[in-house]
Amino acid sequence: MSTTILGISAFYHDSAAAIIRDGEIIAAAQEERFSRKKHDPRFPHHAINYCLEEAFIESSELDAVVFYDNPLFTWDRVLKNCMMAGPRSFDQFKKASRSVLGIKMWVKDYIIRSIGSLGKLDKLLFTEHHMSHAASAFYPSPFQKAAIITLDGVGEWATTTIGLGTDNRIELFQEINYPHSLGLLYSAFTYYCGFKVNSGEYKLMGLAPYGEPIYYDAIRENLIDIKEDGSYNLNTEYFGYLDSSVMTNDKFNNLFGGSPRKPESYITRREMDMAASIQKTLEEVILRMALHTKKETGADNLVMAGGVALNCVANGKVLKKGIFDDFWIQPAASDAGGAVGAALLVSHAYFDIPRKINPNGRDTQRGSYLGPAYKPSEVVAFLGRKGYPYERIANPQQLAEKIAQVIADGKIVGYFAGRMEFGPRALGARSILGDPRRRETQSVMNLKIKFRESFRPFAPSVLAEDVSEFFEMESESPYMLLVAPVRKERCLPMNLRKFQEGDDNMSAVITQSRSDIPAVTHVDYSARVQTVHPSDKPDYYHVIKKFKDLTGYGIIVNTSFNVRGEPIVCSPQDAYRCFMRTEMDLLVLEDCLLWKEEQPAFEDTEDWRKTYELD
Amino acid sequence: MRQSFEYHPVIGYRFIPGLKARIPHEGGGYLIRVNDCGFRCERNFITEKKPGIRRVLLFGDSFTAGDGVSNKYRYGDLLEKKIPNLEVYNFGLPGAGTDQQYLAYKEYATGIKHDLLLIAVQVENIRRVAGHYRYWLNERGEQVCYAKPYYELVDGTLILRNVPPRKEPIHEADLSKEERKFIAVGRFPKLKKMVKLVTRVGLKDLAQKAIRYQLAPEYNSPDNPAWQIMRAILEEWINNNRQRVLLMPLPPYQYVEEMGDPSHYQARFREVASATGCMLHDPLPDLLKYSLEERRGFRFQKDVHLTPQGHAALATSLTPILEKLLDDLEQGVHK
Ligand SMILES: [Fe+2]
Repeated sequence: MSTTILGISAFYHDSAAAIIRDGEIIAAAQEERFSRKKHDPRFPHHAINYCLEEAFIESSELDAVVFYDNPLFTWDRVLKNCMMAGPRSFDQFKKASRSVLGIKMWVKDYIIRSIGSLGKLDKLLFTEHHMSHAASAFYPSPFQKAAIITLDGVGEWATTTIGLGTDNRIELFQEINYPHSLGLLYSAFTYYCGFKVNSGEYKLMGLAPYGEPIYYDAIRENLIDIKEDGSYNLNTEYFGYLDSSVMTNDKFNNLFGGSPRKPESYITRREMDMAASIQKTLEEVILRMALHTKKETGADNLVMAGGVALNCVANGKVLKKGIFDDFWIQPAASDAGGAVGAALLVSHAYFDIPRKINPNGRDTQRGSYLGPAYKPSEVVAFLGRKGYPYERIANPQQLAEKIAQVIADGKIVGYFAGRMEFGPRALGARSILGDPRRRETQSVMNLKIKFRESFRPFAPSVLAEDVSEFFEMESESPYMLLVAPVRKERCLPMNLRKFQEGDDNMSAVITQSRSDIPAVTHVDYSARVQTVHPSDKPDYYHVIKKFKDLTGYGIIVNTSFNVRGEPIVCSPQDAYRCFMRTEMDLLVLEDCLLWKEEQPAFEDTEDWRKTYELD
Repeated sequence: MRQSFEYHPVIGYRFIPGLKARIPHEGGGYLIRVNDCGFRCERNFITEKKPGIRRVLLFGDSFTAGDGVSNKYRYGDLLEKKIPNLEVYNFGLPGAGTDQQYLAYKEYATGIKHDLLLIAVQVENIRRVAGHYRYWLNERGEQVCYAKPYYELVDGTLILRNVPPRKEPIHEADLSKEERKFIAVGRFPKLKKMVKLVTRVGLKDLAQKAIRYQLAPEYNSPDNPAWQIMRAILEEWINNNRQRVLLMPLPPYQYVEEMGDPSHYQARFREVASATGCMLHDPLPDLLKYSLEERRGFRFQKDVHLTPQGHAALATSLTPILEKLLDDLEQGVHK
């Protein structure tokens, strides 16, 4: 008899569901992919439906259903926070209470209404928020024993925890509590720089290399007191999140010389310097914390989760310092991953299922390809029903060769193959691909596909065995969670005179070739790398391999299959719609190839530019 | 939600072969598994039959395909559990009329060895038989009209029309006034008059009073044109099949909950049985033995399809008949 657990995370940010069978991750997906509403926090009806579909199980046959945090603790925090903050915070309290009490207390009813049953236990289990994060980081990792750090904005009370995982047990022994939160500090800067909180953080990280950390001292002196062991206190006088619905207040604004940048307005030197300064601060905390955790646990390896763990620049620094022999980060590090963590925790801690460590030394996250796949027969049924012209290449080698050729010719390819990724990154299952050697790739992809001007380069997917040919990096990075420098001999000098002399216009910098793989090289000559291993995703591996046969480069550009602000595509229907709305040349839907010029005129029923906002 | 059906050049559509999906539903959602041939059947269709195995080919619409419930809760699957050595090949096709079910039989079933052909005619299917077009919901939840294959009766002969059916949706405005009459209306209308009556006297009283309301005038007379086509299809189908045939009219809830008078449709199906010599099983009397409250539980709150309880009650009604029939066939009692 197997033990099957459904995990759910919802109501804060990026709802998700996951299903675990005998400790093995069977399926996991974010609600946004189905509802087509980015970071959808609503009850994940669709994601749950998908998980049950993948496991092919009746809801009544589930051994348990678990929710990823404890609404009572969260309410306790909201209540006490508001008591401290006084009457100023009444609006905040009303809003948060309604969210916590009005929705979270009814989780059980939501589930019964959605799937008809709570499973064999006939009661809903709850885990603690940071335990869910910790479980999502440790259990799928390749380590029998590992130190654990979780870092996020806020869950119930904790915002940062430190612990140790051994076999199927997890212990968290230190925590930092709200309102002291590294995640909220970083989010305050995200907000201040005019990006969306909870999703624009990666933009702030991408902006950092353009600036100088000139505000670092101001941050250290006024906002955060960092202890030797990496623990910290925030000076809450500077933040708005305690008593209002904005992140920063007048005191914060005065410290950095004015009001926050308006979203979508011109980015100035101030934002670049702010980004560089907060990035430096964050890295300092994480490095100290890693050292302390190493000392406390004596573990050789580190695992991490929580939204802050998505800061791949900081991750790269931790790895480089060599504090730990190796580390692993849950790719769905934010609350979506809590669904996986909660279900794994119940499997191992409640049902005492022994943990299976992958004997080949790799993790058990399965490349994070944990979402729905669509069979070629489903694709053909869709295309046939709509009458869209396509060419079918059933031979996988020929298919890979054809796609590689098209990319080498400088065309942009929408690539839809296999199970969808779980987590924020597209990893070659729902990706847009291009030629990294071409200078124009970055601007074409940005302006004609993503419809944005961007200071951020795209990420490369590189054959795992070729990674050190391109980057100063030996380890694998299958989830695009590490940043590494492009090898010196590939880099080209940039003319930064104008920029350094004070011209804030970044485009002068962006458009310069920085290496022989310009589309994936950032201004600081770094890249956010995905290494592709044949056992994780053979189809994608073969496309890159064929590209190498043709060009000598085992590396391609990979960006998520969506337009700006849209959730990554999930179904063939989503992919076709996105393909037709953009200037992609070729759409690959499993083994079907669709050329843009052969498609009938597309009747768009919505103005997607209004539907999808910028992060 | 996944697309479940694909175009079929004769039948109009079928399930996507090999599909596995979970469909969200008011009953909590259900799992469907489709075989290689595009039917919602746990078994792949094999021509030859293993010795000692009794095989039933089961045809019908969504009530037989099991809209609303997982494969294993359907009456066809329950029969396999109740009757030893039984294989049920489920050809149920949601939304299909008896015409399309017959086409599915001709396309996929004629060569398959079997002991019995079970044709489950949901009584409302007569409306689909009369239709040349039908509305479906597309992925955005909008009503889209498609052509369907249909039969016409010309001098007593069935003539197949609209094959292959047009792939593209049809705008109602493009149809002639005459053709527009042939857009299938699907289910029997929930008559305002009856709703009013129910609210006035209550469901229970209504049943006790057994208000004999005519839901389906198509069955009123043997001469009704829609019935004539339906009857011709059934007779041709039954006469062409080499094995025994069991004909089963499936009553919509209005009859199960005694809101309508079944006598007309019952009479019509008896006529087909006596004309062809096939067996007839009317499950309605068995279903009426349950309390009204139980019977209300045979369909979902909003969706009129059978709940697992409804399927179980139907299987319970069928089991003794089917088992005896199969035993008799084995012993050569029947032809
Ligand atoms: Fe969190």
